[in-house]
Amino acid sequence: MDADTGLPSQSQNGQYLLLRHRDTPSIGELEVYRRLGGFEAWQKVITSMQPGQVTDVVKTSGLRGRGGAGFPTGMKWAFIDNKNWPHYVVANADESEPGTFKDREIMEGNPFQFLEGVAICAYAIQANAAYVYLRGEFWQLAAWLDRKIAEMEAAGLLGEKLFGTDYSLHIYTHLGAGAYICGEETAMLESIEGKLGQPRLRPPFPPSYGLFGKPTVVNNVETLTNVPLIIEHGAEWYRSLGTEKSAGVKIFSLSGCVERPGNYELPLGTTFRELIFTHGGGITGDRQVKAIMAAGASSALIVANEEALDTPMDYESVPRVGAQLGSASVIVIDDSVSIPWLINKTMHFFKHESCGKCTPCREGTFWMMHLTERIVEGSATLEDVELLQDVANQVKGKCLCALGDFSTEAVLTGIERFRPDFELAVAGSAVAN
Amino acid sequence: MKMVNLTIDGKTVTVPEGTLIVNAAKKVGIDIPVFCYHPKMEPVGMCRMCLVEIGRPVIDRTTGQVVREDDGSPKMQFGPKLETACTTPVSEGMVVLGTSEKAKAGRQDIIEFLLTSHPLDCPICDKGGECPLQNLTMEFGPGESRYLYDEKMHLAKHVPLGELIYLDRERCIQCGRCVRFQDQVVDDPVIGFFQRGRSLEIVTYSEPGFDSVFSGNTTDICPVGALTTTDFRFKARPWELRSAASICTQCPVGCNIAFNTRREAVSGGKWVIKRVMPRQNEWVNEIWMCDKGRFGYHYSKSAERLTQPLVRRQGELAPATWEEALSFVAERFQQAGDGLFSIAGGRLSNEDLYNQGKLTDSLGGKKVLYGTMGGGDLTAQSGLVPGSNFSDMGKETAILVVASDLHEEAPIWWLRVKQAAERGAQLIVANPRPTRLDAYATHLVRYPYGSEAGALLAMVNTLSAKRPDLPEAVANLVRSPELKAAAKAFAEAENAVILYGSEGTGLETSTALAQSCQNLLLATGHIGRINNGLVAVWQRVNDQGAWELGWRPVANLPEAMQAARALYVAAADPAGDDPAYLAEGRLGSQEQAFLVVQDLFLTATARLADVVLPVQAWTEREGSYTSGERRVQRFYPVVPELADSYADFSVAGQIGKRLGLDMEIRLAGRTFARLASETPAFTGLSYARLAEVVEQWPIVGRGDLYYGGTTYENSQGIGVQLPLTSAGGLSWPKLVEVGMPKIGLLAVPITRLYDHGSTLLPSSMLHQRIPEPYVVLNDQDAERLKISEGAAIQLIPAEGGSWLGVRAIARLRSDVPERIVLVPRSFGLPVAGPTVVSVRLAERVLA
Amino acid sequence: MAGIIGEILRGLSTTLHMAATKPVTIQYPEVKRPVRPRFKGRHHLMRYDNGMEKCIGCSLCSAACPADAIFVEAAENTDEERYSPGERYARVYEINMLRCIFCGYCEDACPTEAIVLGDNYELSFTDRRSSIYAKEMLLVPVDEGGKPTPQKVEPGIYTRSIPVMQDPKD
Repeated sequence: MDADTGLPSQSQNGQYLLLRHRDTPSIGELEVYRRLGGFEAWQKVITSMQPGQVTDVVKTSGLRGRGGAGFPTGMKWAFIDNKNWPHYVVANADESEPGTFKDREIMEGNPFQFLEGVAICAYAIQANAAYVYLRGEFWQLAAWLDRKIAEMEAAGLLGEKLFGTDYSLHIYTHLGAGAYICGEETAMLESIEGKLGQPRLRPPFPPSYGLFGKPTVVNNVETLTNVPLIIEHGAEWYRSLGTEKSAGVKIFSLSGCVERPGNYELPLGTTFRELIFTHGGGITGDRQVKAIMAAGASSALIVANEEALDTPMDYESVPRVGAQLGSASVIVIDDSVSIPWLINKTMHFFKHESCGKCTPCREGTFWMMHLTERIVEGSATLEDVELLQDVANQVKGKCLCALGDFSTEAVLTGIERFRPDFELAVAGSAVAN
Repeated sequence: MKMVNLTIDGKTVTVPEGTLIVNAAKKVGIDIPVFCYHPKMEPVGMCRMCLVEIGRPVIDRTTGQVVREDDGSPKMQFGPKLETACTTPVSEGMVVLGTSEKAKAGRQDIIEFLLTSHPLDCPICDKGGECPLQNLTMEFGPGESRYLYDEKMHLAKHVPLGELIYLDRERCIQCGRCVRFQDQVVDDPVIGFFQRGRSLEIVTYSEPGFDSVFSGNTTDICPVGALTTTDFRFKARPWELRSAASICTQCPVGCNIAFNTRREAVSGGKWVIKRVMPRQNEWVNEIWMCDKGRFGYHYSKSAERLTQPLVRRQGELAPATWEEALSFVAERFQQAGDGLFSIAGGRLSNEDLYNQGKLTDSLGGKKVLYGTMGGGDLTAQSGLVPGSNFSDMGKETAILVVASDLHEEAPIWWLRVKQAAERGAQLIVANPRPTRLDAYATHLVRYPYGSEAGALLAMVNTLSAKRPDLPEAVANLVRSPELKAAAKAFAEAENAVILYGSEGTGLETSTALAQSCQNLLLATGHIGRINNGLVAVWQRVNDQGAWELGWRPVANLPEAMQAARALYVAAADPAGDDPAYLAEGRLGSQEQAFLVVQDLFLTATARLADVVLPVQAWTEREGSYTSGERRVQRFYPVVPELADSYADFSVAGQIGKRLGLDMEIRLAGRTFARLASETPAFTGLSYARLAEVVEQWPIVGRGDLYYGGTTYENSQGIGVQLPLTSAGGLSWPKLVEVGMPKIGLLAVPITRLYDHGSTLLPSSMLHQRIPEPYVVLNDQDAERLKISEGAAIQLIPAEGGSWLGVRAIARLRSDVPERIVLVPRSFGLPVAGPTVVSVRLAERVLA
Repeated sequence: MAGIIGEILRGLSTTLHMAATKPVTIQYPEVKRPVRPRFKGRHHLMRYDNGMEKCIGCSLCSAACPADAIFVEAAENTDEERYSPGERYARVYEINMLRCIFCGYCEDACPTEAIVLGDNYELSFTDRRSSIYAKEMLLVPVDEGGKPTPQKVEPGIYTRSIPVMQDPKD
């Protein structure tokens, strides 16, 4: 709590906004959550606000999607097609990006704030049904959320005619079955509809044609968890956190070659240096940081020089060092890691997760995986590295969805920015040049 | 209709708003390569082959005006990435570049990707020579492969998806056309994708595999040799084949087809049919055909075909010369005079029926159409007029399908009606039991078997102010709210079409039904305009043609034959269909009527004959058929005729000539010309007119096989729709009382697509789909009668009659009305109309 | 007198010179001149070392032939009755030697090096029927260590129709 304003300040040592269970471990119990002011925003929204007002507040707050795209949340809600009914909300709890583990902690520790965010979003777009799409591996989490939803229903916070108004809302959980591609919003909608989890053509976008062909808002778990606080404390308060263009706090999932990997809730604009060295405890052993992957496996590799380390982590600044912030799943690579080995790992992942609908991704990831495999094995030549670069450039820009493009990020930036690693890998090859 | 102007590769084109770029490009002769896109299906943009550069004029946000360069041309904004032309609709002022360096590189890249997993199969692949992947690789692909052979994915080859279609998983490029065809076009998702990524593969979910009557179409639209028919496997290379246009003879739709032939060494150098492909006719079958037609042509090349005339000497049929046989026949026909009784089946062409009819009429004899369905004169009065097309029917049309299981009786019409319903047409399905069309119906009307005409009359009555006295059964139907709603929808629609079939009907009930249908059309003013009218779902390809030429069925054939002194039976097998004839030992009157049988095979009737005359199959000659929609279409010779063989019209003509009549015996075209001059409906028609073609959309069969598939372009004729002859009138049909029996069950005939018909059984490749003779009982009736599923039973007609020896397997269903037994036609169970029967278990297995 | 004889001898010098030289005539058919390495003679349908036919019945030779001299009908291999590796073999293979112009396009087109033009040029026949060379006449005999076709084989081994090719050796 900020002494002057009385509003929550940036989370630091016990002032969590999202990971509130770290302050109050029992916040997963309904009475505890309500005692701390939980569901007051929900009641306020239903009883005293118009749906459009809710959307405006979220717009003004500058909240951006936390799933990776960083799209302004309020604007997405405003795009909903009001001539086509009913509307749906789908919370994206698929969380399959390697290096991302923030949503899981939110749902395990602070489920009610998340569910309240889902509910407020539903009210804002006047949806009467909301779905939480969880990856198949989260089946225990789904059961946990089901219990929490049941508790909310028993307490009259969900169900028919809430707070004496005509508005009804039901939230349902839905399990996936082990596909990363179902984290892509249109593939997720296909999956909920019971079809093969493959992305759809866009346009049309979900706010006009979504679940079952109806307008749908799809938001990440973390994004929605911010919403009750914005309603409770106001858009201006939220703007005061983070940076001007990237408002609010973000949970950074730190992993890789650091002493203390884990989730860190910090304001947007915190530098890489602070995250890795102050909070993360620095690099293990006495190695040096070599590269940073800011967006999980889908990242470009950032060369970890001084400039990069001092770059603030927000949606505008990270592109200056040739990458995207994405979902802020910061994987730290030290100098013991061979970059060819790293991109071989990411390529195996993307080849396994490609849905197969479009040709470049389906065939391209398969081909690139074979090439990186050979490079790592030591049976490749420099021509193969150039071929890999060629193939990656061939895949880029031609795919139906972002998975194909992202699969080439690490490969292309790896070859471009860490060329000596590759030369080393092929130097020891048995195959004559 | 708002029109949009755009430029594609430098050519300007103006198309309606909403047109996709690929289609707009076709209009100016630019072929953008595609794999997953098909003009008859929704685009998915998954193969990425059609990537083009798209530039759009920059619009000033504030003024809404196009921003101009200094020279006045619009400022263009090109997208950062290539976009798929198959999913992007045109917009005003768009500039599309398909031949820029970036676009060409894009195409080369995609081909390279596809070839990394594609096997080196071209020499052994059936698609080679007509393969879009081959063609596009030659046009756009890289010259060399950079992929290591050993890293190629090795998958199952030669996987049978059912016994008709083979899948080669290595060749599949995962374009999804087959899956989308089965899902979107025919709504029968028996195949689907399985797994993901590079392991994405096609699997079949049905047992037997790929259980859809439209499965053969997927082999036409598959852009590679992944889906191939077992019929054509390794038979020939496409460039070695000759093609000939024809019409399918398995149902009254009259699908336009093309036969491919080649000389075969193992047959001793004879011309042999290698496969059947559909031919485009957007008014009849679009670019599709069903499996019965595609795989059911083998009867024309069966070894059982008769090759020589046979004459009965000393009680035995012995080979004779044509001269002998024809003279004998002519002599006896002369003696018979007006005692000549001709029975013709609907498999005969217009020319055959005309000549045989002329012969019979000239002698004063009687001619009878072999069949149990009526109303062909009414369809000539109130049928579809020229210009009608199922593809044009949508929201403003009501389609009533009565007494017909369309999916079994005429699959392509089922498809066309279903698609019309999906476009918004009101679909009223009136049938005693559920059928496959119900899912698309806006109104469902149920009536008891035997009351089909009553149901239609009930509909008329709900619409008219006067309500004359109605029979009890009809009066009950009038009260049904579904029927009232259906009648209202029918009346209010701008256009309305009725299709009536032969579900559970015999000749009398069918005739009454046809009249009732015509009444409904007249009462609601739906006659004489395009996309309005009455269509009969006949049982044979040219039944409508027979009616046009004056042939009529009779209710009691044995009775009608009593006075005959000579019987001339062509393309019909009464003895084979009803063993009663065999038991009596003789067809016709008590005095030994002279029996002449003219057929392809030595049928049961032929075995009783005095003279058997062999004829050419429709593949060996030309002629014309009149489809159920009253479209006259030509078929052409496909294989050379056998030496010393004649077509049906020629045989009848030669007999006639010997009787001194002036008849055409050589050319089908001349026969047709005579027919046209003497039959009012055919006035002005000629073979030349029937051979006329117009440009059709979508474009198929040109060099761009990747666009429409390997369906053949139609250059031999789209046929001509007959005009209506006279005006029909409202008349009260003779309602036949078909009551439920007090004891026993009511056996009603139904149609099944894969039956034991003589034109289907020779196709051994379909035998897995053709069941043993069976009947369907209501499950509660069966329990009462202690008959279990699969039991061998016999049906005994209440009126007597020797059906002994004809046994069937009992199948039990809950959606069969109680006290009803469904008896499929052409399985050897002679149920010609609703018949009271008793059911008992077959005592022993009969050889 | 001597002058005239001398003149005659001078005039006949070339003749006498040639009379003394060895003739170039080869006494065919007792002596046959060997053919050059790329001579295009009678066709052979080759086999692999294990006796299996190389021809996979693809008809590319037939398509390439400018004289339409080749007729091919293909059929399916089974593991009980296997003629060639892979799915397909030529059940009927006929070359009409009267049409053939010995251009070698068939040899160039063949993906498995099955049809080759050999050295034999002694191909006369006395009626047209004999000019149709059938498959039995064109197939080479089985090598040592090979088995005649059709062969009965274990399933799953001979799955590839077109083997790994090597660069041509001549």
